[in-house]
Amino acid sequence: MHSQKKLIVSHAPFWHDGSSITTRSYHIMLAAMLAIIPGLIMYGASAVAVVSMSVSSAILWELAFNKISKQPVSVGDGNASLIGLLFAMMLPATSPWWVVVTGTFVAVIIGKQIFGGIGANPFNPVLIGMSILMVAWKDYFDFDAALVNYDLDMVMVYPLAYLKNFGVSIVDQFSIIDLLTGKQVGGIGATFGIGIILGGIYLIIRGFIRWEITISFLAGIFITALAFQISDPQNYAGPVFHLLTGYTLLGAFYLSTEDSSSPVNFIPMLIYGAGCGVMTVLIRNIGAYVDGVVLAILLMNLANPLIDKIRPKAIGKVA
Amino acid sequence: MTELIKMVVVLVLLSSSSGGLLHWLKTQTSSKIEDQQVKFVKGPALKSIFEGSSNDPTADRFTLKVGETEKNFFVGKFDGKTNCVAFEGFGKGGYGGDIGLMIGVDIDNGSVLGAAVTTHSETPGLGAKAKEDPSFVSQLKGLSIESPILVTNDGGKINAMSGATITSRAVCNAANDAGKIYKEIKSQLTEKVKSF
Amino acid sequence: MAKTVTQEFTKGLWEEIAPFRLVLGLCPVLGVTTTMENGIGMGLATTFVLVCSNILVSILRKFIPAKVRIACFIVIIATFVTVVELLMQAFAYPLFLKLGVFIPLIVVNCLVLGRAEAFAFKNKLIPSVADGLGMGVGFTLSLGALGAVREILGTGMFLGMSVFGASYEPFAFMVQAPGAFVCLGLMLCGMNIIGSK
Repeated sequence: MHSQKKLIVSHAPFWHDGSSITTRSYHIMLAAMLAIIPGLIMYGASAVAVVSMSVSSAILWELAFNKISKQPVSVGDGNASLIGLLFAMMLPATSPWWVVVTGTFVAVIIGKQIFGGIGANPFNPVLIGMSILMVAWKDYFDFDAALVNYDLDMVMVYPLAYLKNFGVSIVDQFSIIDLLTGKQVGGIGATFGIGIILGGIYLIIRGFIRWEITISFLAGIFITALAFQISDPQNYAGPVFHLLTGYTLLGAFYLSTEDSSSPVNFIPMLIYGAGCGVMTVLIRNIGAYVDGVVLAILLMNLANPLIDKIRPKAIGKVA
Repeated sequence: MTELIKMVVVLVLLSSSSGGLLHWLKTQTSSKIEDQQVKFVKGPALKSIFEGSSNDPTADRFTLKVGETEKNFFVGKFDGKTNCVAFEGFGKGGYGGDIGLMIGVDIDNGSVLGAAVTTHSETPGLGAKAKEDPSFVSQLKGLSIESPILVTNDGGKINAMSGATITSRAVCNAANDAGKIYKEIKSQLTEKVKSF
Repeated sequence: MAKTVTQEFTKGLWEEIAPFRLVLGLCPVLGVTTTMENGIGMGLATTFVLVCSNILVSILRKFIPAKVRIACFIVIIATFVTVVELLMQAFAYPLFLKLGVFIPLIVVNCLVLGRAEAFAFKNKLIPSVADGLGMGVGFTLSLGALGAVREILGTGMFLGMSVFGASYEPFAFMVQAPGAFVCLGLMLCGMNIIGSK
């Protein structure tokens, strides 16, 4: 501390795409619309209510915290509304209002603001909200029970729960096209695969999310699921099924790529993404939970600071 | 040197006086503690077995020596007649260790009056249902305590709980253990119960 | 820094309230506060141990050699903890069943040892009693408050009565272990906001 150096600047990685947080948030939300709108059409008014409730309550919680902690109002950066939107994408369309409001409280206040606001959160706030709610009210996150009153033109069973309870034989009932076009039970914005992928690709091209994480996440899922299937095809579903069900795509494109809880270096990003994917399949195939994406990403968030230390050293440089 | 001696003396004095105090307290409270244990651990089980009895079975109890150990026996009175006794049998082979089963017997004909699980460490939701859901143990009702009690898989009459065959077997083991005790001390037991 | 006896007592209630200011003794704070009843029961047991051990340590402070003081404290504390355990078994068995393993764990509650070491070993009898009592009451109040919040939110019940009516779906997260951490953190935060004004 007594040296003359005032600033210690490390080498790149620095990442700047020339836009502010605000434009970033709105671009991500715009891309997410591709996945949400089919969900809204599918589930109708109650889904619209959940999404608008989620976004607006997230903004209000952020505003309330800003006021109480006497910080400048940070609602304008769009991050709170982004949290609200992503949170709503994961919910079943029938979630009661108080589940949504508590969830955004946990996500915005406990997941983000407590740690010092945007950029300081060690975990993805959306997933903090989601995991706490799943622990507290797991009945409302049982998609089969939540959507029992809907009868749409598709297999009305949550694919992962179906797989867990009835074994691998049910996989044939879901065609890839159905899964990709949202003909499956799930969260409001988590089922329309094509929309998520297109939105994600747009964000990758614009540089708002990192392709390394997304690709290694999907690769991690694919390889682990394939390994399981090869070792015991009677008991484990194939990789494509795992890729297109549950929160996999949402996790790969929108959740694991959240800025402050994911790594910045190239190799760490690959490790992080692959770790999420591997953990997801492990939890789904071996663990007690139906879907592992939420917990897998949280776990890798936890390891993120350590993973980020893995980087190639300059030749000849000591320490 | 004096410091060392002082240390030793102080510690020894402190420890021994503490030991003495605790021993005194333990002897003072032991009967009271036993009462409490009987009331709160065995009490609910006894209540369900002796439903409608005219006495308090936790109070009307006696001990008998079975083999090497002393066991508690609880007496139930119905309509002025005292012909029922409840005691605990332990079944080996539960999923998480032994299972304690309180079982009530009509000493006139040796038939089971009722049963309830007292202690267990089975899986919540599966084996633990043996305690929470009385419909399983109620199958024991009316069977003879002196003949072996088995689950249907083993050729008996008891339908095992779904998903908890091991626990169901252990409960049957406990019932058979109780049966063994009953046969062993039947005459003493009858005599004692009649004296209440 | 001589304080009056009253001050020794009141400092434990706010200024140095154990779980929130000193952040001591968190094991029972997080473990048993699923209901207010449990929290207060645990708090009273700890208070008893705290006061008794403070008294004895303060009386014996001239005789206990400094080198083996920790061993002596532990013997004294363990004795009183066993006393509490036996008494609780004899007179409040349902509470004992609920608190279970946490009663013997009072021995290693650093609050009790901490007060013996930091206060009673250096002070006269009366201030030591006041200190132990104040700390204990503060501890009990904190546990009770935390227990009340967790009970109300986590089960929708308060002392056996329904608070929000039948339509309330219990926020079960609060009665689980992670809920204890979050709840404690939020209460600490609240204390600091109030305290800093």
